[in-house]
Order: sequence, then C-alpha cells, then structure tokens
Amino acid sequence: MKNGKMVLVNILFSLMIVFVFAFQAQAGEVYKLGLSLAITGPTSDAGDPYSKGVEDYFRYANDMKILGNDKIECTIRDDQYKTSITKRNFEDFLDQGIVFYLNYSTGSTLALKKDFEEEQMPVIPASFHAGNLIDSNYIFLPIASYSAQAIGLAEYIVKHHKGGTPKVAMFIHPSAFGRGPVSDVEKAVKAGLDMEIVEIVEHGKDLDNTAMLKRLLSKNVQYVISQTIQSPVATMLKDASRLGIVAKSFGEKGKITFTGCHYTGGNDLVALAGAASENYYWTTSYIVTSEPGAGTDAQLALAKRYGRDDKAANSHNYANGVMVAQVATELIRRAKAKGKKITKENLYAELQDMNGMNAFYPVTTVGPVTYSKTDHAGVDTLQMYAVQNGVFHSVGRPFIPEYTGKIK
Amino acid sequence: MSANRWLTTGNYFTSYKDEQRLFFKHLDRTIFSLFLTALFVWPLLFHLSNKYMLVIDNILIAVVAVMGLNIVTGFAGLISIGHAAFVGIGAYTIASFVRVLGDSHVLLTHAWPLMIILSGVVGALFGAIAGLPAMRLKHLYLAIATLSFQMIFTWTINFMDFFDQGQTIAVSRVFWFTGKLARKQHYFFWYYVILVVIVIMGFGVRNLLRTRYGRCLSAVRDNDRAADAMGMHPGLTKVYAFALAGCFAGVAGALHAYVYRGVGIESLSLHESIIYLAMAIVGGLGTLNGSFWGPAAIIILELQMETLAENASSLLPSGMNLATALKPLSFGLVIVLFLMFEPRGIANWWRIVRSYTKLWPFRY
Repeated sequence: MKNGKMVLVNILFSLMIVFVFAFQAQAGEVYKLGLSLAITGPTSDAGDPYSKGVEDYFRYANDMKILGNDKIECTIRDDQYKTSITKRNFEDFLDQGIVFYLNYSTGSTLALKKDFEEEQMPVIPASFHAGNLIDSNYIFLPIASYSAQAIGLAEYIVKHHKGGTPKVAMFIHPSAFGRGPVSDVEKAVKAGLDMEIVEIVEHGKDLDNTAMLKRLLSKNVQYVISQTIQSPVATMLKDASRLGIVAKSFGEKGKITFTGCHYTGGNDLVALAGAASENYYWTTSYIVTSEPGAGTDAQLALAKRYGRDDKAANSHNYANGVMVAQVATELIRRAKAKGKKITKENLYAELQDMNGMNAFYPVTTVGPVTYSKTDHAGVDTLQMYAVQNGVFHSVGRPFIPEYTGKIK
Repeated sequence: MSANRWLTTGNYFTSYKDEQRLFFKHLDRTIFSLFLTALFVWPLLFHLSNKYMLVIDNILIAVVAVMGLNIVTGFAGLISIGHAAFVGIGAYTIASFVRVLGDSHVLLTHAWPLMIILSGVVGALFGAIAGLPAMRLKHLYLAIATLSFQMIFTWTINFMDFFDQGQTIAVSRVFWFTGKLARKQHYFFWYYVILVVIVIMGFGVRNLLRTRYGRCLSAVRDNDRAADAMGMHPGLTKVYAFALAGCFAGVAGALHAYVYRGVGIESLSLHESIIYLAMAIVGGLGTLNGSFWGPAAIIILELQMETLAENASSLLPSGMNLATALKPLSFGLVIVLFLMFEPRGIANWWRIVRSYTKLWPFRY
C-alpha cells in the first residue's frame, strides 16, 4: 500500500514537471522593444494615435501568432516631448534589455544619437529629419525625410506651374524639425530646380497671419511649402481663406497654393481649419483612409479590432505607428526564419538587408520599405494628396523626388 | 554654551564666536558626518539602474542650481525668474568649446574639472551683468528684468548658427584615472562628482552666511535703506548676489552638459526657470537645507505625476487631452498649497523636527 502511494506520487510529480516544461516551451520567447513618445504635452495630437498604432499592431502580431509562440513586449512611455525624459526612458529600456527601439521627436533623436551609436541600437524614430542620419549608423527613418518631402513638393510645383519661374515661400517651424529641409530645398534650386524661394517664414505662436500673407502676396508668391505641425498651418489657411487668396486650383494666378509635408496634414488639419483646408496639397508616404484600398481596410479593421475611436482609426499618425511596428515585427520574423537569435545586432543586419527582393511591403504605405547600409530612409515614394470636399484625396501617382539624389 | 559639547541640550551661546560655529553640538557634526559617509557609500553597496541614477544626478544638479537661486532670491530677496538662462550660460560655455575645439578635445575630456570651474566663472560674469539692473530696480520690476535676460538668452541661442540654433550640441565622455569613462559608469561617476561639488558649494554657502558679505545679503533683503544707513552697499551686494547665483548656475549647467552629454535649448527654457523657482519655494527660501529638499520634492513629484498622467491618458478621453493637464495642474497646486500653508517650505518641517529633538534626552 505504502509503495503504491509512493509510485502515484512519483507519477504525479513527473507529470507536473513534464507539464511545466511543455508549457514553458509552448510559451515561447519574449522580445522586448521600447517606444518613448509624446502621449501628453506638445505634439501629443500626433503622438497619441502613433502610440495606439504601435500598440495595436504588436497586439495583433501577438494575437495572430505572426511570430509563432514568441511574443513582442513593447513598453510605451510618455516623454511629454522632453529630451531629458526620453533619455531617462531610453536608459530604462536598456536596463530592460530591449533589442529594438522606437523613438519620436527630432530633438530627442538628435540628442540621443551618440547613445544609439554606443549601444549599437537600431532605432526608427517618428521624426523624418534628414539630419538624424548624419554621423549615424543606427537611425533609420520610416519614410522619406522632410527634406525629400519638401523637395518633392517643390518639384511638383515646378512641374505643374504655368508661366515662368514659380515664386515660393517656405513656412517653417522654428526648430531643427522645421529648418532642416530649407537648406536642402535651396540646394535643389542651386542644382537646377527652376524655382525662386522668395521668403522663409519661421512662424511663432501667431493667432493671425494676415500681415504675412499680404506681404507674400505683394511679393507675388504663388506657392507656400509648409514644414511644421497642423495648428499653425490651420491658422494660416483660415486667414488666407478669409482674405480670399486660396487658389481654387493648383497654381491659380493671383492666389496662393498652400502645400505641406507629412506633419502639416491629415484629418487633424481638416478638423482644425474646416472649410479653409479645401485645396490644401499635402505629401506623405502613408495611405489615407479616405482613399479606398487594402491598406485602408487593414488599418480600419485593426483599429476596430482593438476598439479605437474614429479619430484614431483614420489618423495618418495611427498608420505611421502601425507601419513602424510592422517593420519591427517583420525584422524579427525574418531573423527567426533564418534561425538567428533575436538580438539588436541581428535585427540591425536584417534592416540593412531589407532591399531589392527583400523589400518589405506594408499595406500602410504608398511604396515599399527599403533599407541598406547606405539608404536609411524607408519608403522613398511619396503621394500627393489634396483636400476635396473636406477629405484628402490622392492626386496623381506616387512619385520619388529626383533632386534628393542630385543634391547628395 | 555647555563646556561639554557632547552633553549640551540647547543653544546657550556665551560669545559671538560660539554662535558662528558650523555645528553647535558634536552630535550634529557626527550625524552630518555619518550622513555624508552614507551618501558616498550607498552606491557601492546597492546597485541602482541607470534610469534612477540619472534621476538622482538630475536632482543633485538641480540642488547646485537652487543653492544659487537661494542666494539671490532667498538670502538677498531679489526675485530671479531667469535662472535657467544662467544654467544655460554654464552649459553653453561647454558647448562653445565643443563648437570651437571639437567634442573630443583634451580640454573637454581630460580637463573637465577646469571646464566646470570656468563655466562657473562665466556664469558669475553674466550673473553680475544681469544683476546690474538690480542696482536700480526692485520687486516686480527686477523680476521682469531677469525675465528679459531669459528671453534674450533663448532668442540668442535659437537664432545663432554657432549654437546650432538650439539643437543638441553633443559632448563627449570624459576621462578619469582609469581611462575613458565607460557607459555603465557614467551616471555613477557623475553622482560622485556632483556630490563633491555640492559638499564644497554647500560649505561655501554656509560659510558665506557667517561672513559680513552673507549678513549684508540678509540685511539688504530685510531693508536695503537701513542696510545702506548701516554702511553697507546695497547695490554692490545685489550685484554680487547675482554673480554668486550665476556662478552656481554656471556650474550646474556644465554638470548638466556632461551628465546628459549634450546641450540643447529645450532644457533651459523659461519653464525650467519657473521650476527652479518652485524648487526654491517648496524647499524653503532663505535656507540652505531648503535647496536640498526642494529639488528632491519637485523631481519626485514630477516622476509620480508622469506615471499618473501616463495611466490616466489611457482612461481619460483623448480628445480633451486631460492627461496633459495633470502635470501642470498638480505642479501649480503644490506651489499654491505651499505658499498658503507652509510658506517657509519643507525646510521648516526639518526645523520643527530638529527643535523636537534638540533638547533630547532632557526636553523639559
């Protein structure tokens, strides 16, 4: 009887051990990633949907077992758009043992560049500032840089302008983020782009742009290229609309055609500027949900799956967040498929291999994501959109700016 | 005063010399020595992650800056709302050398103690210049003058190519006797450096208050006309108060540049000036130990509010962006509450605790 009991105990104990080990094997590995961004504070209107995009896609990847039993654990921290907090968050992520890092602002990306180099940490920021890539091996922009976007807009203006050299003003944010593309557009002009930059306006926190707009008009400026955030553009558009100087068609004579880079547009601009946003031309590499397509369906389905409201679901910054999470997941998937251990070094190598036949096609962008040792800008393709009847619609086909290559 | 300074239970001064002692009792000195030893020893015994070492370094840098602000606002009674600009002067002194010599120049990487002292000197120089209006202005008018200095500083940095228009100017890692400082030692190393700086500067302030120059500060604060009548020079006193504040701020700025390994205008804005002022008020204006309590309290409060805002952002409706408001609201509320209920700051709580224990074991 006693022996029988002992046998039973042994069997139960053995079963328990087998069960525990089997469960552990089934649980798979956990890959740690980190994202520091402005969920509150300045630019949180972009940061909030961006963080939701990242969060939702990683949840989706885990739920759909894209990495098998392995899971991605991405810690998302709010830095309130302050570099000192971003630095603290990054140190925290390093302590946690992250293998890939997602950053946000231009200022913090530039400030932490040396840390990324020292830690050899591959990074994708939400900032598309070309300066991020100078003296850096580990920063990868998700899409074309602000410079490429501004040059793309300039090329579009030159191509579609009728009668002589177009006169253009640049309306920029008073920071590295805003100023960055100016010198590159100037270089493109020197390299032969037939355009005259009449004035560069660094906006403040003006609530009225009447004087500036009248001045631009008096200088025969026909186009404005904006590289800033939505709110100052909305103020400018409202004033322009009140003055009746917004071009009804692209390049209309005697009026001004307003154009802008990624962070100037999207649904938030339409919400802020209302009817004044009509005929605003905007470029980005992301899809917009007002255009039907596989990307739109996927984005809306993802947002719906995780209970996001319409505002977040239709935000191009939500698409932005989804896309960087897609890239990170794809890198891990590829490294796993090759039997590599998931480390920052291997993910870095995978990033550099993401080109040619290995290019990645997320449905959330208008072109493929390509990186190499020398190319650290993901989606090179841009799409022009314009507001028609209160929503952004694509204008023409996606394009790659020519002068970005010429000014290198 | 009791002949045996171990047994004394109160302050029974029999001479001015007695009253000028740094430590009234041997027990005070012993406790202080033990506390100081603990501050130097604990990092060797307990491992703290880089994140929290950075937070502690940040508190200590703020302590240096707030000691300076306390000299000008607390002891001399001159409102300064441009203190972050003085910190910026120190930080941008380092940045200027980086721009001219390169960030890996031996002066910056090896002679960093000299660079920190130099930043203090430059800070003092700018402090004295910015303090010149204090010879003519008082109260709110002086506050506006210091605010102007902050504005001029921000504008200058933002629009000068030499300072990279406010973008971060990177600073290299420094060298120590063991060679180039490794990443893992960085915050640990600077903890000790800043601690040494605080001890030196803390004793400096404590000693300053025992000199005629220190007493001039208090006299000018209490009544500058009376001080003038007593043979003091209120104008000169105000200028050197600003110069000293600038010196402390300059040192803090240099330390900030080295700890964060970069200088950017973002950390030196008017908002930071207000935070320094809040630290001084919450800690206790006109007290040395208030300069320690204030930064610790405010930075820990900030950390807690960050966590709260982060958690709240997922619960509160995003459209209203209520989570964004949590931090400034709580921050403002703390300052208002301190001004209303404890205008003497946390330092007063410390004073009360000390007075309770002063007569121990013979309280009555």
